Amino acid sequence: MKLYEFEGKDLVKKYDLPVHGSVVIRKKDDLENLDDKKTVVKAQLLTVGSRMKAGAVKVCETAEEARSEAENMLGKRFGAEAASVLIIEDKAEIKNEYYLGITYDTSTRAPVIMFSRAGGVDIEKSEEVKKLHLDATEGVQDWMIIEFLKEAGVKQDQLVKMTGVVKNAYRCFLSEDARLLEINPLAETPEGFVATDVIIELDDDAGFRHKDRKYAERTTRELTEREKAVKTANAADYKGTVKYIEFDGDIGFLAAGGGGSITCMDALVNCGGSPSNYTEYSGNPSSEKVRELTKQILSKPGLSGLWIIGAIANFTRVDTTMQGIVDALKEVKPDFPIVVRRSGPFEKEGLDLLRNAAAEHGLNMTVHGKEMPLTKTAETMVTEAEKYRNRGEGKRQYSLMKEPAY
Amino acid sequence: MQGITGSEGQRAVAVMKEYGTNVVAGVTPGKGGQEVEDVPVYDTVKEATENHREINASVLYVPPFAAKEAAFEAVANGIRLVNCITEGVPIRDAAEMIAYSRKQGALFVGPSSIGIISPGKCRLGVVGGPKELADHVYKEGEIGVISKSGGMTNETSWVVRQAGLGQSTCAGIGGDMLIGATFADLLELFEKDKQTKGVVMFGELGGTYEDEVAHMIREGRFTKPVATFIAGRFAEKLPEGMSFGHAGAIIQGGKGTPEQKLKLLRSAGVITVDNHHDLGEAIREAI
Repeated sequence: MKLYEFEGKDLVKKYDLPVHGSVVIRKKDDLENLDDKKTVVKAQLLTVGSRMKAGAVKVCETAEEARSEAENMLGKRFGAEAASVLIIEDKAEIKNEYYLGITYDTSTRAPVIMFSRAGGVDIEKSEEVKKLHLDATEGVQDWMIIEFLKEAGVKQDQLVKMTGVVKNAYRCFLSEDARLLEINPLAETPEGFVATDVIIELDDDAGFRHKDRKYAERTTRELTEREKAVKTANAADYKGTVKYIEFDGDIGFLAAGGGGSITCMDALVNCGGSPSNYTEYSGNPSSEKVRELTKQILSKPGLSGLWIIGAIANFTRVDTTMQGIVDALKEVKPDFPIVVRRSGPFEKEGLDLLRNAAAEHGLNMTVHGKEMPLTKTAETMVTEAEKYRNRGEGKRQYSLMKEPAY
Repeated sequence: MQGITGSEGQRAVAVMKEYGTNVVAGVTPGKGGQEVEDVPVYDTVKEATENHREINASVLYVPPFAAKEAAFEAVANGIRLVNCITEGVPIRDAAEMIAYSRKQGALFVGPSSIGIISPGKCRLGVVGGPKELADHVYKEGEIGVISKSGGMTNETSWVVRQAGLGQSTCAGIGGDMLIGATFADLLELFEKDKQTKGVVMFGELGGTYEDEVAHMIREGRFTKPVATFIAGRFAEKLPEGMSFGHAGAIIQGGKGTPEQKLKLLRSAGVITVDNHHDLGEAIREAI
């Protein structure tokens, strides 16, 4: 989970990393009684790269000006994301801006500390980011950081203080189970080093070590009605997972498994097909869960096809999931073509459920088991959908996969 | 098997034994003295290895919070192949497990591995499913298979089989951001393995594990034919930072795109295919 700046700052504060004085603004009433030092207005956003460039950070001369900027900014959209929370901070005299980042490096498969003397907005373009690769079991000692910072060009009079900052940040990174901790800029002020902006991404898998955490659920864009419905269905019971992301295309996409689903999305797009959604179901979900997922996929207007696909499962029962799909198909009775390829335990039983439902309700369905390679059926789906689109009233134009709906 | 008394573990023991794996001991602290599928259970790995000197691998079916300790316990007791099936292991723990195994000279496969199968011989984990299905998909042969995706391990082995070939060993290495055995680590073993004539790899967007393969081939450390499919090209059209399927399948800072990986692999002589189902034919022609 990615944290908002103010949440990240609350965390680093626990590890003796100084931050600027600030107030959190969620509604206009919160703007009453601000002290005169509160002049820097910052929208709390998760997706905007440079908030300064996007106009989501305003450095004002007076608190009065800050209040009026904040009123304008509250609820304003930056890209797909609305600023529902702001902070207003004390302005500080900044002499220098540094960059400090800690994450896991996939090439060493261990933590890495990154540092640059040229912090600020264009850090990704900067060539000057130095890396200190650590050993995951041995941790870090002061001399390693001192050596590293000295070579990165930190001046002698700041070396010891900066080492303290890096050490505290690393302590925070490990103790809080972060996947990423970024302080940019790390500002040098007359009062010492201050974390001016903080980005933290927590490791959701480590939740069992942090049971006291209570972060509000967050989305970086507003979910569509169908996305909300699938989310609710997924949370209804703990067994298995169903995911749904809405796109602009006209081919319903109902896929099993993480790797299988992205392989099939590629195959569909490769053949010139345009998915109306991304889905993935895995971990042996109940029939009810799969039924709701299927219903939501089918509820999107303008579909020209439904592609039901999955690789050869190890132990996910094909008949159980197909039962959920069949239940939804019986309710909706779509007239567009349906192409199926699924394999695994109880494959024959599962595919027969589909075949029987197709015969009973006159569905236009092609069913394949493992004899047909998984991704080959993308071609069939695209051809069938094309025929459906061209039925009757002449040709309608559909574009290739457009920008997704966010 | 560590975590043998849990429900997943119990099922896995039966499935592994059915396929011919010689499962000699299980470990669950506090459950020593019990039996699961006729396999004796011990409280510690130490007791298990003392009573069964032939133990040369451990498969982990423990809950995520216990995975790190279980891996350390196995490696500390001299086991040199640890296959971690457990999913949802914290990244900090994964980093420590990987570092410790590496230092002790153990091969650590996972976390989130679907298992490892050497067709006709044995399997760790439930890769392949019920024996009847496994025998349909897997047949002893000359192609090595490495897959980041558990579900796609079967499918990738299956396209090899459909091309009229068999498999030497097929390993699910897991799709997490940090994994123990990488493509490169296993290619090193396939290079030494006389049975293996070529390798197919199922890669995914995100991370740098595919990139390492290009380097090792350039350095002449792997000389057999390799064919690969890398999934997730559609995601290049989506906003950065979205995760698909697996935790490691994420593109950040412009790195880890399938296009970049494919370009690098092609330049090192790896056969790349646009359609997953072409992998089998591609490797058949190459060997």
